[in-house]
Amino acid sequence: MVAKIIQIILSPILALIVGVFFLGLARKIMARIHWRYGPPLVQPVIDIIRLFYQKSVSHGRMFDLGIVLSLAGSIVVVLFLPFGRICPLSSSGGLLVILYIMLLAPLGMALSGGQGANPNISIGISRKLILSLGYEVPLLLVLLAVMTHYKTISIVEMINVQQSSNWSIISWPLFLSGLSYFLILPAILGIRPFDVSSAPQEISSGSMVEYGGKYLALATIEHAFALFISIALFVNLFLGGAANPVIFFVKMLVVFVLCLFIHAVFPRFRIEQAIKYLWRWPTLLAFLGLIIAAATRS
Amino acid sequence: MDRNKIAKWLKEPAKMANKYSLHVIYFCTGCGIIEIPPVITSRWDAERLGIIPVATPRQANLFLITGYVSVKTLRAIIRTYEQMLEPKYAIGFGSCPINGGMYWDSYNTIKHLDKYIPIDGWIAGCMPRPEAIFIAVTHLWTLIDKGMANGYIRYRENYEFYRRNQEMALGKLDWPPLYQIRSDVKAVENE
Repeated sequence: MVAKIIQIILSPILALIVGVFFLGLARKIMARIHWRYGPPLVQPVIDIIRLFYQKSVSHGRMFDLGIVLSLAGSIVVVLFLPFGRICPLSSSGGLLVILYIMLLAPLGMALSGGQGANPNISIGISRKLILSLGYEVPLLLVLLAVMTHYKTISIVEMINVQQSSNWSIISWPLFLSGLSYFLILPAILGIRPFDVSSAPQEISSGSMVEYGGKYLALATIEHAFALFISIALFVNLFLGGAANPVIFFVKMLVVFVLCLFIHAVFPRFRIEQAIKYLWRWPTLLAFLGLIIAAATRS
Repeated sequence: MDRNKIAKWLKEPAKMANKYSLHVIYFCTGCGIIEIPPVITSRWDAERLGIIPVATPRQANLFLITGYVSVKTLRAIIRTYEQMLEPKYAIGFGSCPINGGMYWDSYNTIKHLDKYIPIDGWIAGCMPRPEAIFIAVTHLWTLIDKGMANGYIRYRENYEFYRRNQEMALGKLDWPPLYQIRSDVKAVENE
């Protein structure tokens, strides 16, 4: 009982540290690819401290609550995701619950932005929802294939099977699904070429345009959690999870750095190009993967 | 990070974080903006000092006014400055915002920007080199350390003065005052 409570407190803190570290690492690696020196690794922490000390302007009750809802949704998802062997709520729920609660974060941002009454926010939110329509289709097909193959919705059991045999991305029935998840990972993370919803040059960073001070700090923390969640889900489902947090972290790091290389060299899609891409190759691969997983099910 | 900075961080986290996380909103009023791309990209790399450009005044805490200020852009500058969140710093870049520069006798430009919004520091020159921005930033660090980068406090305290000057330049302003105007207090003259 006490161990479980400690885990419930520990796992969001671990996720936050990993997410914020990733934010700093992203800026450093991007700088090195641009042949710059880059900011210190702790720059996001400095930014967050600065933002918490700034005055902030609210635009109404929903503006405050939406961002809190989004942050809370992210933290709850973290509790359901195994981080190495740390998984406080492993016995309940599983993939289906994660699928439902993952919707809370963008929903909260949309509710909060709606009160902001800035036209850039509406454009950003509508782009974000259209983009999520784009990647939810292949994502659902991929998760369906995984659940069909392993005949369970529990992530912990999937990890146990993968630990005793092969990682699912290098075993044949789930190879296409894993590939498809990796192709839509930049869209889930909202990085280039899919950063249409937060494009600073086009729509003044979209849904973030009215956030300043503490709101921006909370939004940054939420972004760190979102980074953690989508990469940890990939590692858990396809790279075999891990027996301890260190190996898990290394696997996440590899996936994230690969995504960063894509982020660094690609220009931005327009929204209809993004949808065209997402509904063509990743969806096709995910669909084939689902058929193979269903056909080879013993 | 420097080891002797840690004590400073523990003592005054707000000051240190303000120093090392300057999110800049660059205002492309005039020709000075051409010096900004080399500053933020690989040639001079301002990001190693924590200086990055942001797209919206809500996220920014440093306002860099680059080049001459025409009467029309003054309106946008005031709106942008008032939308930024405290603590906020403003820097005038180039000689035109200081005293009009080569537009000293133009009918359509503002000669002294610090009559309309408070400026924490100036970068003189026509044009200043990109290195001058880094010198300005290190000076701004010193000012923040000493608590002398207090433009936003001066704006709050002398709001009547600034508002009156703004109204003289722009006619009637179509936005409400940011702070309460104390009619019984005589407007303070700025040096």
